Amino acid sequence: MKKLGIVVTLIVLTGAVWGLLRIQSNETKIEKLVLTGSSTIAPLAAEIGKRFESFHSNVRVDVQTGGSSRGISDARAGLANIGMASRGLKEDEKDLLNFTIALDGVSIILNKSNPVNALDKQQIIDIYTGKIANWKEVGGNDAAITVVSKAEGRSTLELFLHYFSLKNTDIKPQVIIGDNQQGIKTVAGNPDAIGYVSVGAAEYEAGQGAVIKLLPLAGIAASVENVRNRSFPLSRPLNLVTRGEPGGVARQFIDFASSPQVNDLIEAQFFVPVAH
Amino acid sequence: MIKNALASALIWLIAMLITGVFAWLLADIIIHGLPHLSWSFLVEAPGNAGRSGGIGPVIISTGLILLVAVITAVPFGLATAVLLSEFTQRNSRLGRLVRGSLDVLSGVPSIVFGLFGNAFFCIYLGLGFSILSGGLTLACMILPILIRTAEEGLQATPNDYRLASAALGMSRSATLVHLLLPAATPALIAGLMLGLGRAVAETAALIFTSGYVDRMPDSLFDSGRALSVHIYDLSMNVAGGDANAYSSALVLILLLLFINSIALSLANHWLHRSVVTV
Repeated sequence: MKKLGIVVTLIVLTGAVWGLLRIQSNETKIEKLVLTGSSTIAPLAAEIGKRFESFHSNVRVDVQTGGSSRGISDARAGLANIGMASRGLKEDEKDLLNFTIALDGVSIILNKSNPVNALDKQQIIDIYTGKIANWKEVGGNDAAITVVSKAEGRSTLELFLHYFSLKNTDIKPQVIIGDNQQGIKTVAGNPDAIGYVSVGAAEYEAGQGAVIKLLPLAGIAASVENVRNRSFPLSRPLNLVTRGEPGGVARQFIDFASSPQVNDLIEAQFFVPVAH
Repeated sequence: MIKNALASALIWLIAMLITGVFAWLLADIIIHGLPHLSWSFLVEAPGNAGRSGGIGPVIISTGLILLVAVITAVPFGLATAVLLSEFTQRNSRLGRLVRGSLDVLSGVPSIVFGLFGNAFFCIYLGLGFSILSGGLTLACMILPILIRTAEEGLQATPNDYRLASAALGMSRSATLVHLLLPAATPALIAGLMLGLGRAVAETAALIFTSGYVDRMPDSLFDSGRALSVHIYDLSMNVAGGDANAYSSALVLILLLLFINSIALSLANHWLHRSVVTV
């Protein structure tokens, strides 16, 4: 008797799921555009998606996160219509097409109470590789340096490594973080920490009273202005990537995201538009 | 004498310390979250990546995800618990196997459930990023805790009930429905609340299954952002999202209290109606 009950329940549940699936497959008149990838681009893409939907009532733009590498692999595997990558494509990724919609800079940040106001390229390399372990070696307090680095797969990390010609295995971090906000909070909460995050986010948070400061790089101040005029050396493109030439709605979305119609949205996320 | 006083002072101190940590956490969330909390915050859609606007669609998505999780997990959980406690010997091979795998499952980190849910529900079953995928993933996650508490509850019912009802000629299913399950209701509800508490706070399992979309969902096949994912994104990924993150955290706590009180009142209601009062 009881076994029968369990079997019946199972059958009913399976039937219900199948029924729901059938209903869904019958009413797919609405076109869905799926974007996955960089968590840096995701909030921006979601906002662009909302504006795009307001012009195209039959389209739904679904934005999912997971990091640039995921965006590239999803776009390549066809799991997403468009991938999001906050870096340029690597050599082995040239089978994909990329469309730059905005720029972002990466800045070295220190706690505001740290007396050090500038570090040259070699000093930063030595700090991140563990050769310099105390702030007094670069003119600061007698305190151990807390090196904050980003997790594997984050495009900020890749950009940082590329600029300083380092490998991830060279870096000796004390703290590993994921997102920009986490980096800003870690450095704001530790007077002896050094980290690197998006210029836009850091500039905004510093303006909002976060106890961090942005270090100039090669003598050029880390600011949104200097990313825009492309004088700041450590900057990255925010890219949409597709497998093959995009068509239909994907094409329309990419054109829309690259047009000046979304410049206000890009600036609201503290990035730098490229379209004029 | 002094030893006694010292010991009780120590116990009091530790108890106060723990309460203090909780009070601090709650006060922090209320102080930062309450000023932004309003009716419009609860019903409006998020704007400017969540910095402005409200969390209306996020609350709806969270509710739907939990609903899917509960509707799926409760029948399966209950059936397994009944099997374990009523239809297998304590030391049978099947019982040991099921219990062992449940113990392993309950220790699995939630990100593993998230990746499993993504690979199985989203990709293999083709449900995509959807509320259904998220709810089913959460159901898998809360099943172990649900089953173990329900099983404990059933086993805690006095064996006299079973013997007496057998003597009266009641069938085993009638005994189960009319005597054992009502008597075990408090334990079942407790398990459900523990599971829901774990589910509603879940971020890692949901970000890859129910997803990131903060639009109002039309169906269970739409991606919907859960409150915990929203809080995570606002505090860790969106510069200037802290204020709304605090308010969302406050809403999450209120939601949890609301769910708990509903579950408790339902339990009381059923207890009064049942034959057995414990």
